[in-house]
Amino acid sequence: PSGEMGLEPLFQAWSYFRRRKFRECADVCSQLLERPPGEQELDSEYTVFQAAWNLKTRALTEVVYVDEIDMDQEGIAEMILDENAIAQVARPGTSLKLPGTSQGGGPSPAVRPVTQSGRPITGFVRPSTQSGRPSTMEQAIRTPRTALTARPITSASGGYVRLGTASMITNPDGPFINLSRLNLTKYAQKPKLAKALFEYIFHHENDVKNALDLAALATEHAQFKDWWWKVQIGKCYYRLGLYREAEKQFKSALKQQDMVDTILYLAKVYLRLDQPVTALNLFKQGLERFPGEVTLICGIARIYEEMNNISSAAEYYKDVLKQDNTHVEAIACIGSNHFYSDQPEIALRFYRRLLQMGVYNCQLFNNLGLCCFYAQQYDMTLSSFERALFLAENEEETADVWYNLGHVAVGIGDLNLAYQCFKLTLVNNNDYAEAYNNLAVLEMRKGHTEQARALLQTASSLAPHMYEPHFNVAILSEKVGDLQRSYTAAQKSEEAFPGHVDTQQLLKQLKEHFAML
Amino acid sequence: MPEGTGALREVLPKQGTGGEHRPALPAQPAARSRPFSPFAGQLSVEDTAAMVLCKPKILPLKSVSLEKLEKLQRAALEAAQPPEEAPPPSAGAAPPRQ
Repeated sequence: PSGEMGLEPLFQAWSYFRRRKFRECADVCSQLLERPPGEQELDSEYTVFQAAWNLKTRALTEVVYVDEIDMDQEGIAEMILDENAIAQVARPGTSLKLPGTSQGGGPSPAVRPVTQSGRPITGFVRPSTQSGRPSTMEQAIRTPRTALTARPITSASGGYVRLGTASMITNPDGPFINLSRLNLTKYAQKPKLAKALFEYIFHHENDVKNALDLAALATEHAQFKDWWWKVQIGKCYYRLGLYREAEKQFKSALKQQDMVDTILYLAKVYLRLDQPVTALNLFKQGLERFPGEVTLICGIARIYEEMNNISSAAEYYKDVLKQDNTHVEAIACIGSNHFYSDQPEIALRFYRRLLQMGVYNCQLFNNLGLCCFYAQQYDMTLSSFERALFLAENEEETADVWYNLGHVAVGIGDLNLAYQCFKLTLVNNNDYAEAYNNLAVLEMRKGHTEQARALLQTASSLAPHMYEPHFNVAILSEKVGDLQRSYTAAQKSEEAFPGHVDTQQLLKQLKEHFAML
Repeated sequence: MPEGTGALREVLPKQGTGGEHRPALPAQPAARSRPFSPFAGQLSVEDTAAMVLCKPKILPLKSVSLEKLEKLQRAALEAAQPPEEAPPPSAGAAPPRQ
């Protein structure tokens, strides 16, 4: 019996797999699997049944596969109840938890927006981009952890896709492989099937415990000589939070077979243990053995960026571009650094490069619009923003674009337009602290003090890490004569941004005033 | 780019009408005109801090993995929303049919 086009069905399934049409592949394989009486016992000879089973497993895994190197969803429980810290108070520049003084750092918060941990926003975001470790539970709950929604995951096993709902996407009729009835020992002895099965259990079913069992049996069967199984065990330990054991496995795998992937996994472990310097050394040693390897250089740049050492990060991102000048992350990060260093024309060149490469999304057009405006290329500004609005996929993105349009409006002096833009920002995202702050400034210009105060209060409660609302409250209160409130607000502003000259001047003024009383 | 620290406000002698919202005096030659020179009569300079705007936001670009994750999450949300005809698969027990 042959399928469409007269092709032998297994070959057709394989052809679908190569062309990444995984559902069609799985369907053809299901038909092949239906023919013998449906049992999951496999004999030792290689049969069409086994081949189809293997292929379907791999096809289902590929639908939901995300590279484990990038995956790093850290739940609140892991963040707060962290037992892996070596020192209570780390020396500056050795920990990812403290953003540290910007040694060789870039633009200050006076020019560049910061995230909740006091880090400047980056040009690129990945699943594992740490927005810093929050110090209090309240801050942890506030930090958006999931990619889509702002609701935090309470523990690493709580994410939506991680509940094994992947099978709902790939196979609405029920799971393909029934894990509870699986005889892992038998599969562990067939390495080719075992490897596909492991990936299925690990990525598709998210059942780390069963995956670990299979991997342990398989590595024993291979007499501990197969580096691949050691890496998989290491990945399982990482997911389970057993970082030191994971480290051992990865190191052992590296001794057996030097692979870039293993180095990346090991570095991930060190970063989770809050040992950025160890991770850096690991990367640099890896670069000696794999000179010019882009992922390693990029890893170094990311660590420097997380430690707030923007100049070193920029240097390494430039190295990345010397090796691979289409590297999106490097281009985006360097572009954003240039923008905030008062060089929007250069930033424009970098973002245009991304456009040439075919990147086509809301964020890029927003950035292009901003760079065009500040580089005084006014002809492209509004059309870029229009395109950005068109490409926005959800309301948060739309809100961001309207917020930046508000800035453009302020720049051209059209305060009515600016007012409307900031209002539209709030329509799309009611928690947009920056928009509240800027609306307050506009209201103050019109003389509506009470409204400005209310808006500033909202802004400062939504984003206590930003210095602008606190500073504005201080100014406003000082104008109306409420010096006590002005002083408290100015102190909060100083806490958020100690280097702000105006805050310090204001504090000095107020202190002199109080001293006179 | 956002302007620098503080705004200088020079206190100039008033033209005689007072507020900014009143219409300006028409320029008349002889009787009421005073020669207007911006720098003559400058009395004092105040360095008053102005309110600060929050800065324009360069949006971070998303990685391929992040986009795929978001797509999967959205698909999972959609799959979860309509009431299930089949019982939802969980990690342990599974429906016996195959």
